[in-house]
Amino acid sequence: MTTTPRHDEIGSTEVGLDRPWNVVVWNDPVNLMTYVVYVFRKLFGFSEEKATRLMLQVHNQGRAIVATGPREKMEMDSFRLHSHGLWATMERS
Amino acid sequence: MAGGIELTLAPGECHALQAVPELLDSVGAAGGDPAADRLDQAPYPDDPEAAAEFRRLMAEEMVQSRAADRSAFALTVEQSSRGVILSAGEAEAWMRVLAEARLVLASRLGIIEDGWEDDLPEDDPPVALLHYLGWLQQSLTETLEDYLP
Repeated sequence: MTTTPRHDEIGSTEVGLDRPWNVVVWNDPVNLMTYVVYVFRKLFGFSEEKATRLMLQVHNQGRAIVATGPREKMEMDSFRLHSHGLWATMERS
Repeated sequence: MAGGIELTLAPGECHALQAVPELLDSVGAAGGDPAADRLDQAPYPDDPEAAAEFRRLMAEEMVQSRAADRSAFALTVEQSSRGVILSAGEAEAWMRVLAEARLVLASRLGIIEDGWEDDLPEDDPPVALLHYLGWLQQSLTETLEDYLP
């Protein structure tokens, strides 16, 4: 009925490639708060205040975005979080 | 912070920790063991293809990283009842091994929500071990904070 392509059919791949990704850390009932703060500081160089704020966001809201950037870099950040036992996924920014 | 981290554990603690490598070795394949599903993550929950590609690229590195931690842990845990000095790197390996062991124990106990501390009997051996490993992990983490820039 229409010849106008939908927005997501126009160059969506290119748009997708350029769009950054977020790394999301999810709450889990086992990892210690102190440990999560330590891992954030160690892996991302956050101040104690910033790491604590993000840890509390994970704990209270269930999730927090801890990094945003190119896909490959975010995969490495996810890997490093996984290697410390944190629950981390990626989503498009 | 030269000089390392001194760790002296009671014989009972040392004995409990010597069960940790066996616990970690008991983790089976993803899909059949809840512990494996928790540990062997891929960051793409809604994209099986991307998840499989991530695992293909990263699985070996994860195995090697965990093996190095376990090896550092196993080499020092036996000495810990006599007192051992851990480098910061070794203490970090301990911290990650303890985190991993706690995730394995918790997944086998079916722990999926906050508040389990109040619901599970502390004298149940796996629950007691979960608490003990948490206490030790907490102590190591607090010590290692002094090494952060």
